[in-house]
Amino acid sequence: MIKLKNIIKQYEVNSQNIVMALKGIDLHIKEGELVVLRGASGSGKSTVLSLIAALSKPTSGEVIVGGDRISKLPDNFASDFRRHSIGFVFQKYNLMPILSAKENIILPLVPMNLSSDEIEEKLKRVLKMFQIEHKENQLVKNLSGGEQQRVAIARANINNPKIILADEPTANLDEKLSLAFIEILKELKEEGKTIVIATHDPLFFGLEIVDREIEIYQGSIV
Amino acid sequence: MKNKINLYIIEYAINSLLSQKYKTFFVTSVLTALVFLLSSLFFITNSIKYELNSTLEALPEITVQKIKAGRHYDIDISVVDEILEITGVESAIARVWGYYYFENAGVNFSIIGLDEYEEQYKNSFVKVAKELDFSKPSMIVGVGVKKIMDKNYYKEYFNFIKPNGTLKKVDITGVFSGDTELESNDVIVMSNESVREIFDMDKSKATDIVVRVANHNEISTIASKIKLLYPDSRVVTKDDLKISYQNIFDYKSGIFLALFVISLFTFFIIIYDKASGLSSEQKREIGILKAIGWRVDDVLREKFYEGFIVSFFSYMLGIIVALAFVYILKAPLLQNIFTGYSQLKTSFNLPFVLDVQTLALIFFLSVPIYIAAIIIPSWRSATLEADEVIR
Repeated sequence: MIKLKNIIKQYEVNSQNIVMALKGIDLHIKEGELVVLRGASGSGKSTVLSLIAALSKPTSGEVIVGGDRISKLPDNFASDFRRHSIGFVFQKYNLMPILSAKENIILPLVPMNLSSDEIEEKLKRVLKMFQIEHKENQLVKNLSGGEQQRVAIARANINNPKIILADEPTANLDEKLSLAFIEILKELKEEGKTIVIATHDPLFFGLEIVDREIEIYQGSIV
Repeated sequence: MKNKINLYIIEYAINSLLSQKYKTFFVTSVLTALVFLLSSLFFITNSIKYELNSTLEALPEITVQKIKAGRHYDIDISVVDEILEITGVESAIARVWGYYYFENAGVNFSIIGLDEYEEQYKNSFVKVAKELDFSKPSMIVGVGVKKIMDKNYYKEYFNFIKPNGTLKKVDITGVFSGDTELESNDVIVMSNESVREIFDMDKSKATDIVVRVANHNEISTIASKIKLLYPDSRVVTKDDLKISYQNIFDYKSGIFLALFVISLFTFFIIIYDKASGLSSEQKREIGILKAIGWRVDDVLREKFYEGFIVSFFSYMLGIIVALAFVYILKAPLLQNIFTGYSQLKTSFNLPFVLDVQTLALIFFLSVPIYIAAIIIPSWRSATLEADEVIR
């Protein structure tokens, strides 16, 4: 499903300062697998997610998702790929504070110019799935952290993608809400989705639903 | 079923503008003010040009004045007969006119004399000559004059003070409407006899003589012949007068140019500010949209709608406010800059002139430039890696 082949990723901070984020990573994630990437801040976990989502391109190496070599995709094709295949839950949720929960959730559908019935159908499914029907018309800036995360997850699932990527999903949640998130993960896994989570939260370590834990240390898998 | 126009992107653009209501309000206000200023200047200029052209068309082909020591003196009426003998001259009419200073109001009236049975040198005077009662001292006055006289309690008649200090009472029998407002506003028309009495002018004299020529190509030749016959005269052709009027107007349009340059300068400062970059918040928004699957062209389309909504709304509002300002409120402050040569500045109505070229020029100076200033920095951000923008 997801293959990373000898990935090197460098960030140029300035002309004299180049950061090596990933140092030749090889990774293979099967369809329907739930994989946890663990490691300290700055280890390169988020960079791996970013490469799988085609949000950035590797300096060298190949990223293959579902048989497509997405590391070489032109910008607009990368957007299409994300729209249809990836649901990304960001650490800070990256919601539009000025929009309502409903408007945030349907945002990925906006460029698709679907009929209002199609949009409504997709919206209802995720609102119900993530239990936020009663919050749909509230501005997200007025929602609690847990509610904002549910909106972010609903947005990531609105197109029913095969792959869900979550970057430090419990970093801003208390224990109760973190456990609720794990319940959501269970549901998504039962639906057959491939899930990759980048986290350093011990709550995820040794969990029954987690198929594999991969430790990343200073840009390399250990 | 897909719509061709993506209404959801338009809805998002509107929401985005409303969410930053103070910023949107500020930009819209500044753009509207600039469009309003530019449009007002264009409308006033167009109206005055129209008015000026109409006035120039009504000017006599040749005017003959007597000059002594470089100053204008009354001319002998007998000159009319001698001019009529020149081949090509269709008619020559002695005019009796002058300026009367009304001290109470601090304004000059232009008093023009007519003869009942004489050919009129202006179309607008033909009707006036029929309405004017030549059997008693009476006059027909311009709209501006009527207002001034009403204000000073001269509702039915006016007492002119003659050069010897005695009074000449003249009844107001009508309001004069000339070919143009510029022409008729400060005008009083009465019999030649009354004008002569008010200005103490001899019956054998006239203020000047206007000459009509059968063939327009012969105007300069006939003007030269008159000059040869009367070396002490000033012979002014219609073209000379046109240049003189244009000179006055060009001076005014210099002020217009200055205002125009200031408006454009302000506009381009705003554009430069816009084009020079987006705020981190705006960059982040674009990054998020790309991260959830928007393509570069989706982002640019949304930004296009944002720019179009703001600039087109400002354009329309600026034009409507300018139309109301110029043609309903009569352009207070601005009009005086352009109409300084009118003797009476009161009650001057600009004729309604609205041409597509002017509207198109203002449109292209505002809407596409503003949209470009929105699109270009957005395009720069949208083509960066999304990860780089939202990290």
